[in-house]
Amino acid sequence: MELITLLKANLKSHRGTALGVFVLILLVSLSLGTVLTVWNNSSRYVDSEMDRLRYGELTAWVSGLPEAALLAEEISALDQVESVGVQPLIFSEYEIGERESDSEGQLITYDPERYPYKFFADDLSGYQAAPTEIAQGEVYASASMASMFGVQAGDAITFPIARSGGDVTFTVAGFYEDPFMGSSMIGMKGFLICEQDHEEIAGMIEESGADSLAREGFMLHISGVSGSALTAAQFNAFLNENTSLTSYVEFTHSREAISGFMLTLQNVFTSLLLAFVVILLLASMAVLSHSIGSTIEQDDTNMGILKTMGFTSGKLRVIQLLQYLMISLCGMGVGLLLSIPAAGLICRMTVTTTGLLIPSALPIGICLLALTVILLLLMGFVWLRTGKIRRISPVSAIRGTWKKSQEIKRTAFPIQKKGLTCWLALRQLLSGKRRYMGACLVAVLLVFFASLIGRVDAWLGPNGEGLMDAFNPADLHIAAQPMGETTIEQVEQTIGSYTSITDSYDLAMPSVSVNGVDMTANVITQPERFHLLSGQTCREADEVVLTEFVAADLGVSVGDTVKVAGTLGSGEYVVSGIYQCANDMGMNIGMNREGYDRIGEESPTMWCTHYFLADPSLQPEIMQALQDTYGGDVYLHENSWPGLAGILSAMQALMIFLYGMVILFVLVVTLLTAGKLLRAEQKDLSIYRTLGFSAGQLRRSFALRFGVIALLGSILGTIFSAFLTDPLVAVLMRMEGISNFSSQPAMWDVLLPGIVVIVLFLLFAYLAAGRIGKAPLASLEE
Amino acid sequence: MREALLTAKEIVKTYPGAQEPVLNQISAEIYEGDFTIIMGPSGAGKSTLLYALSGMDALSSGKVLYRNQELGTLSEKKMAVLRAKEFGFVFQQTHLVSNLTLFENVAVAGYLQKGKSEKTVKERAESLLSQMHVEKAKGRLPSEVSGGEAQRAAIARATINQPGLLFADEPTGALNRKNSEEVLDLLNSLNQEGQSILMVTHDVKAAIRGTRILYLEDGKILDEMSLPPFDPKTAKEREEKVSAWLASLSW
Repeated sequence: MELITLLKANLKSHRGTALGVFVLILLVSLSLGTVLTVWNNSSRYVDSEMDRLRYGELTAWVSGLPEAALLAEEISALDQVESVGVQPLIFSEYEIGERESDSEGQLITYDPERYPYKFFADDLSGYQAAPTEIAQGEVYASASMASMFGVQAGDAITFPIARSGGDVTFTVAGFYEDPFMGSSMIGMKGFLICEQDHEEIAGMIEESGADSLAREGFMLHISGVSGSALTAAQFNAFLNENTSLTSYVEFTHSREAISGFMLTLQNVFTSLLLAFVVILLLASMAVLSHSIGSTIEQDDTNMGILKTMGFTSGKLRVIQLLQYLMISLCGMGVGLLLSIPAAGLICRMTVTTTGLLIPSALPIGICLLALTVILLLLMGFVWLRTGKIRRISPVSAIRGTWKKSQEIKRTAFPIQKKGLTCWLALRQLLSGKRRYMGACLVAVLLVFFASLIGRVDAWLGPNGEGLMDAFNPADLHIAAQPMGETTIEQVEQTIGSYTSITDSYDLAMPSVSVNGVDMTANVITQPERFHLLSGQTCREADEVVLTEFVAADLGVSVGDTVKVAGTLGSGEYVVSGIYQCANDMGMNIGMNREGYDRIGEESPTMWCTHYFLADPSLQPEIMQALQDTYGGDVYLHENSWPGLAGILSAMQALMIFLYGMVILFVLVVTLLTAGKLLRAEQKDLSIYRTLGFSAGQLRRSFALRFGVIALLGSILGTIFSAFLTDPLVAVLMRMEGISNFSSQPAMWDVLLPGIVVIVLFLLFAYLAAGRIGKAPLASLEE
Repeated sequence: MREALLTAKEIVKTYPGAQEPVLNQISAEIYEGDFTIIMGPSGAGKSTLLYALSGMDALSSGKVLYRNQELGTLSEKKMAVLRAKEFGFVFQQTHLVSNLTLFENVAVAGYLQKGKSEKTVKERAESLLSQMHVEKAKGRLPSEVSGGEAQRAAIARATINQPGLLFADEPTGALNRKNSEEVLDLLNSLNQEGQSILMVTHDVKAAIRGTRILYLEDGKILDEMSLPPFDPKTAKEREEKVSAWLASLSW
């Protein structure tokens, strides 16, 4: 009973502290609940949708065969294969308005019986009933097309099926959920059409023969037998070895790889947010530490009295523990409840980026487990911090000598007339260092994380150049690939009329298999242009370079030999180096032209020429001119891709969220710390006022202390970020196939987080110090 | 007729929630050069009157004028300037800033005075601390010196800007007899140099140091008496005289 009475009294007398800690824990719980919901639900959802649509362990995109049934049967007959599902499709480029796709689209024949896709409602906030059939001339697109191309229902999408007017235009009837290629991170996109349209287009392809730009194909969804010990790569190699799949396959992706593509954005951002939650938790602990310390200092007399009444230190600590336990539980509970609408909002907001409407149901088990761990951590911390209650002796506490022994000794810093307010701020700061440790630590943590995100943002670049560099095997300004009558010389003439071409190289991306595993080969005419990470580039015809991902997957390193197979045969190649190209999540290799010629046959249209311009600023104009002049006859691309928009907007949203949280956190931390300090320094502040200091001067001096603390924290946070960002983010990026993350931010990007945090601390401390002028000076009488 | 330095006009102070006022329609004048004492029994409202007269506490009604300037109408900033230039405060608890040395406590108050160089302020602070016999402890923090030393430093701080009026609230209340005598001697010598002082005390031995004593009871000034400047040789007679006067007021 006595515990409850004291607990109530404590909560009442420390309402401000309780509220502050409650808000901090709420923010931690809210962020954690939201992040865990998005992270857990997105991966589970992609998984369950792939199961529901029976996509199997491996999907092979094949073409060049009139009927897929025979190949499907051949594959099904293998003992390691459970079943094979076939989805007919048509590969075709497409145009939306003035914009051309940079990857082929796939017109998939809608078959609701076998592949029951989900269809979004018009506002993308939920689903609508799936149509029994799609009307002729209509198409359903992936929701990410809205962010990639700004597509809306009613828009027209044109598919150039054959040269000389063989275009087919569809009207977008709505959006469907594609758990396979729906993310804006994936270039290839599926479009659902009806069977009649498929038949008509197939007829056009057949009629136009060599003039055909599109081609018929199939997706083969291959399911392995349950309990198979084969990895995806081994399963792929097994199929290639035992069937005629390699003769028809365009590319193959495992379920894990597709899931990885689909979840790239969510994984990267939830990882960053999860790291932010850890930062928030550490910052909360710093604040908690300060709060406990000053509460004990403030209540020492009461504690001394309670000890004379027979309360043990243990009991007093339990009261403190219960107090923070109750506040933390309330904060966690409310935070968790708020994370339900927050996660729902995020899931709805990201539909056009992820292509999925991720369920927002809270993963109760994971959330409770995570929060229990955090709660135990916090309570252990509180128990440790309240240890100094043991040192309070009743007599010294009542006489005030215990508090005196806690006071900071003098500092050798002189006080000067000029800049008196600043000198006094410094003196207060230096003589009460411990009291500001929490705020300083919070500044370090917030600036560190904001800096880290800022550096990632700077690496991405305003137009996503950083990311593009990571995805492209080599640099470029403009790339052109003639597909018809136009020659590369004509293209160069057009470019030359704007600016001279300083250099060029050719790049082709045929499919090969490496040690039996299908992947893309980046075949280049200037191998020295590869983004090399280690070793040497592949100058000889028997050399290849691998990505870190492939090297690890195949268990090879520089100097080892791999077997590469193409359409003409196979050959042994020495791994001369490791290079960077995050395409296909890093599942690719690099080789020179001579090397490829050993195993594959060149086709006239396979080469895409990459140009470097004397004046790169003319790039947009040149691209427009090339598009206007040659239209669909030349496939053009630059150092960009439509999915970048989604990433950049997600990054912007993350920055806004991050700075929002930073503002909230600095506000709570400043109010909490300032409140305690003002209470502790009330007497000194009143004395200063009796000496003739104005409340304004004292407010400025008070705010300045926080400014100095924030400055110190910001410097440390910025330094930590400079040293730790690259190795920490590189770990995350490696998971997405980017192994050369190196941030080189501009000075402004480096300084901005620190400046923001300093200004926030100054501002909130100044506002909190408003009560200095309101405290009655007559309190000195007491 | 002498000109009033500080004038109280029908001042009333009632604490929130209280039925009776602590100060009830008090009118009084404090004169330049006087060592004015406010005496009265515990709970009479002595300190409240001092804080009301110094503008440190808000009034419920009435007004206080310092050199014909009404304190209640001054902005917070102007009040701060007035405190820095014209008022000095000495409290029962020394109320030195805990993380400043005795010297810094004195000098900081001087730094607020515009037109005086840092060097001048430092020299005056040194001189005052020497005058108050605490020059040896000037580099120590308040927590490292005795109560007497701290109170003498507090007087030095209160007088560094040569204020028009020095307010003292039971300045010897927390000191032993020896230290009390030293502090009162200092106040007397300052008064004899021309410093106007308004001091609250309930100690007759301290009260006899004044040149004018106001007797306060139940929030009202009941009577006052005037005395010649203090002379230690006549201390005993003064004490008897004041005691007799107080006895007549049922002290």
